[in-house]
Amino acid sequence: MKRYAYYLSCINESMTKEVDRSIELWQNDLGIELVKLHEGTCCGGSNLEYVSPKHFALVNGRNIALAEKMGMDLIVSCNTCLMTIRTAKKKLDESPELKKEINDLLKMEGLEYLGTSDVRHLLWVLVDDVGLDTIRAKVKVPLKNYRIAPFYGCHILRPSTVLGHDNPRDPTSLDQLIEALGGQTIPYNHKNRCCGFHTLLVAEEESLNVAAEALKEAIDSKADFIVTPCPLCHTSLDGYQSKALKHAGVESSIPVFHISEMIGLALGYSAKQLGIKRHIVS
Amino acid sequence: MTVPTVQHTEGKKDVTFRVFRFNPQVDSKPYFDDYTIPVEKGITVLRSLNYIKEHIDGSVSFRAFCQAGICGSCGMRVNGLSQLACTTQVWDVLAKSREPGIIKVEPLRNLPLIKDLIVDMDPLVDKMKHYSNWVDSTMPEAEMGKKEFLISEAEFLRYDKATDCILCASCVSECSILRANKDYVSPAVLLKSYRMSVDSRDSLHEQRLAELVKDHGVWDCTHCYRCQESCVKSIPIMDAIHGIREDAIESRGMKDTSGSKHAEAFMIDIEKKGKLVEATLPIRTNGVIWTLQNLLPMAVKMIMKRRTPPPPPLVKSAKGIKIFREMFREMTEHVKQDHKSHKN
Repeated sequence: MKRYAYYLSCINESMTKEVDRSIELWQNDLGIELVKLHEGTCCGGSNLEYVSPKHFALVNGRNIALAEKMGMDLIVSCNTCLMTIRTAKKKLDESPELKKEINDLLKMEGLEYLGTSDVRHLLWVLVDDVGLDTIRAKVKVPLKNYRIAPFYGCHILRPSTVLGHDNPRDPTSLDQLIEALGGQTIPYNHKNRCCGFHTLLVAEEESLNVAAEALKEAIDSKADFIVTPCPLCHTSLDGYQSKALKHAGVESSIPVFHISEMIGLALGYSAKQLGIKRHIVS
Repeated sequence: MTVPTVQHTEGKKDVTFRVFRFNPQVDSKPYFDDYTIPVEKGITVLRSLNYIKEHIDGSVSFRAFCQAGICGSCGMRVNGLSQLACTTQVWDVLAKSREPGIIKVEPLRNLPLIKDLIVDMDPLVDKMKHYSNWVDSTMPEAEMGKKEFLISEAEFLRYDKATDCILCASCVSECSILRANKDYVSPAVLLKSYRMSVDSRDSLHEQRLAELVKDHGVWDCTHCYRCQESCVKSIPIMDAIHGIREDAIESRGMKDTSGSKHAEAFMIDIEKKGKLVEATLPIRTNGVIWTLQNLLPMAVKMIMKRRTPPPPPLVKSAKGIKIFREMFREMTEHVKQDHKSHKN
């Protein structure tokens, strides 16, 4: 059983509780244990970085230091938390002065940022550590009858200088996971595009247009559902779906799943167990 | 451009260029023409288009000049990705083509089409004018030419990368928000604005910033990083966008726009609970009336699905919040000191 420190994203503790609930169900089946980091704090959601770069470094240096104290990599299931914490790690690793300033404060809690723990997305752990063969062997209900649109979202791909796992122009890890679960991926131009989440409250009309484009392509391609590794993308594409499609004059809908739910379904868990009924679009 | 002889020995390939065609004066709708030509390794997309124009079809229209990645004229989409035709190797593109042996060439997005691969750059130039994308010197006119206007190396390093922009408009073409609204400022103009605003010789800082924080300005960026990823000069464009936002917060506070209020909420919540209080985020960003008008129907659906974020008192603080808060506040003191020494 390989163990990891698991970062608790704010949205997964409020609006998208089904993500962590699903992971809890199947983590042992796949030979991993995600140890919840209850001391971790909000990463700043791609905003704190410009509000106060130093608080940004402190908050996320601390989040990583907590995982380092446990001797584990920090695993994240929200794209933006991933990008944000990895950005802070890069800044700390590149600046001895910043690292010293942060560590002087972290002493108050008996913590030290060393730079020894990696910060990784759950999707990367599944593909790279658990392995597609292991996942394939555990499938009880193959997703063979489903045409699936893989929506990676932005912050698992870009900036590639910070993320670096998939080629942002032609990512494959989510496609591989879907295929390992027996599903069929469709060619999807929006796979590496934006969901519009981050400006839903600031430039709502633009954000809804962005979401509608991604939804329309999946609907036009006759996908059965969209799957995403990010709860923020899920909120934009599921929670705001009817508003976005109405805005775009489209009279249709498409379900959107988290990767954690898709895995749960393929491993034989029920929609009820996985919390799928909490979605706005069914 | 010379092609090293060693590359010639690796042979030729027949490559089909599927070129976007549209002449609004003649055509009712756009179409694609296929041109199949022999291409050696080391040949760029631009040289291939030149060959097509000279030897096959003189009517194919595109813009190009320096052929060396300097002038920024030949921005176009090659297999869907906005880039310079003159620095894009045909064999590199072929290696990733979805359709073997075929390279699709299309005009940049998000700018009006003039003909075939040529887009109208005027809307971009107009935005550069609107956001004062130049340095208006603080030096009195009488002193100009009589003494040097020196800047420190440290200051230059702040905008060194931004000065690499050649206005090829690849970032404009890839921008998610511009695709949704053509009035959006655009990443190229934000980059130029940043470059001018951090220049100590400039006198337009406040005026430019006042425009940048309005609707369709800097707060509308959705952080998708497509601009940065497509930049042909590898300029960290998002650093410039963050730089303008940081500047706006420092110069104008956090109460004047929905964007800054939204950002402030993160800072406040992290200090208070270590967690974001999502339930009140729309109200804190846009006020009660906007929230009721825009989010009420969705909120009802979310309540039905038990999907609403918990009200503020029910948001549990992160474990160990007391010590965290002390550290956070100590850092606030550090930042205040930094600002003081920065001003001195």
